[in-house]
Amino acid sequence: MTWLRNALDDLAGEAPRVDLAERTIRTHERRRRRMLSVLAPVPIAAVALAVTATVRLLPAQPPPAAESGAVRDLPASGVGPLSHAYMTFCRPEKGKPPAGCVDGGWRVVTHGGATYRVAQALRGSTFGLRETPFAIAGDGRKIAYYDAKAGTFAVRDLASGTVLTAPTKVPKAWLGSIAHLLLSDDGRFLAFSKMPRLKDPAMLFDLREGMVRPLPNGWNPIGLSPGGDTITLAQYAPKTRFQTISHLWQTSTASNEKTIDVTGTYLPGALRPDGETAVAVKSGKTPGSVCPRTSPDLVHLDPQTGKVLRRVPFQGLSTKGNVVYLRSWTGPQEITAIVSPIACKEADVNAASVQSSYAPFTAYAVNVKTGKARKLTTYSAQSPFYLVLPGFPATL
Amino acid sequence: MDRNDSFREFVALYQQSLMRTAYLLTGDPHLAEDLLQSVLLKVLGRWPKLAHVANPQAYARKALVNHYISWRRRPARAELPSSEPPKGSYSSEESTVARLAMRQALARLPPRQRAVIVLRYYEDLTEHETAKLLNCSIGTVKSQAHHALARLRECAPELAPRSEEMEELKGTRR
Repeated sequence: MTWLRNALDDLAGEAPRVDLAERTIRTHERRRRRMLSVLAPVPIAAVALAVTATVRLLPAQPPPAAESGAVRDLPASGVGPLSHAYMTFCRPEKGKPPAGCVDGGWRVVTHGGATYRVAQALRGSTFGLRETPFAIAGDGRKIAYYDAKAGTFAVRDLASGTVLTAPTKVPKAWLGSIAHLLLSDDGRFLAFSKMPRLKDPAMLFDLREGMVRPLPNGWNPIGLSPGGDTITLAQYAPKTRFQTISHLWQTSTASNEKTIDVTGTYLPGALRPDGETAVAVKSGKTPGSVCPRTSPDLVHLDPQTGKVLRRVPFQGLSTKGNVVYLRSWTGPQEITAIVSPIACKEADVNAASVQSSYAPFTAYAVNVKTGKARKLTTYSAQSPFYLVLPGFPATL
Repeated sequence: MDRNDSFREFVALYQQSLMRTAYLLTGDPHLAEDLLQSVLLKVLGRWPKLAHVANPQAYARKALVNHYISWRRRPARAELPSSEPPKGSYSSEESTVARLAMRQALARLPPRQRAVIVLRYYEDLTEHETAKLLNCSIGTVKSQAHHALARLRECAPELAPRSEEMEELKGTRR
């Protein structure tokens, strides 16, 4: 950080705290009413013109809400294991929105192909202002989501319909703009963290015992030991770091934590269930551009030391023109990688006129020893944030 | 969720960071609040369209900077530095002195130069990104930054780095 940056940061800290939302809305309404009252006494013809103009200037109405019946709501019980979940958005730049689209709504898809809307889950803003995290347990039989009615997180067993809610309320404002959930395979533990690094805490819930453990904020949970006693967190920006916190339920302090810096910038996938292996992809920018790129190797990292152990080139998976995101493990030697074509335009970075479309995300099972990739299936989603696969989450 | 709800969320998330930028641009808390209020009104007027773009805060930030520059073109709105900062530093008050010095040095910059300094060294934008936001060429950003840094060194020598650090600063993030 430069002297100037320090000085500006310091000065910016003097800016008073403000709350301008309500004042702005009131002023906007007052101006709108005043404008209408000015228009009122003019002759009929002019009024007709003004009304026409006003109608044209009115904001576009939201698209018709869900065509009820197109996709059923999640039944109370008797739902089979899930293959994935995705968030719907109804104004794609290209292509058609899915039938029965609800902006920011979560849908789950079973291995049998049935699709259900999860109406209980808080709807998100598909433009990134409010994140509504979603998670699927490794066996696909339980889901975790933010229940707007309960005002906290809930875990639902899809077969039995049993719902457990977190023991403390989590205000919606705490969800931040990028939120992550990690759900243990047995559905007992649920970890929540988010960005930006707000003052309110990240949390680990024990839903069976009704207990809560605070976690450091601004980290992504990527692994939890079977008994919920040790959690592994990762950061990928501004630098890659791992943090391991052990003896979570035996102490009330954060003294059993270890943070390790990794040299280089990587996007780690979920931690292998043995808790000792992490693989990542190296991310960066295309030279001369602001668009992302992925290096053609799978990188083995030691989460205890931060060292790069080895690099294994991908085979059968092209990183050229694609971005690769690692997800959870499908076996002792295989991790899921989802691959999506780079759709970045230079203008996207600053312009406010971007409207996204659904993009294909092709899933591969990659052998971490040989790098060989086996194609699994292709999903469609707005962004990697809005595509959830069973298992522990990764950093992206 | 009506459109005002999503606007409220947007404001709740981004108003403080926009306020900090507004404060650095104007140097006055009341002017900064006025500036941000004007920009938020503009954003609310366009919210039905903006609510579905990927990055509404980028629009707000761009509007903020451009609104500030157009404000400052008005002759009546002059920001006058008040008293000089204390000479030397009182060990425990160093940061206060530094803030005063920086505020006064910024106040002596023309609006575009000040915007370039804030965007490049506070918002951490690249020259390319700054040029796009200000609708000018990269060359203009470079020259504005050069003149602004020279002016800052002149106005606040106690804050400026040694010459080798300055060279390093110039070389970064091109």
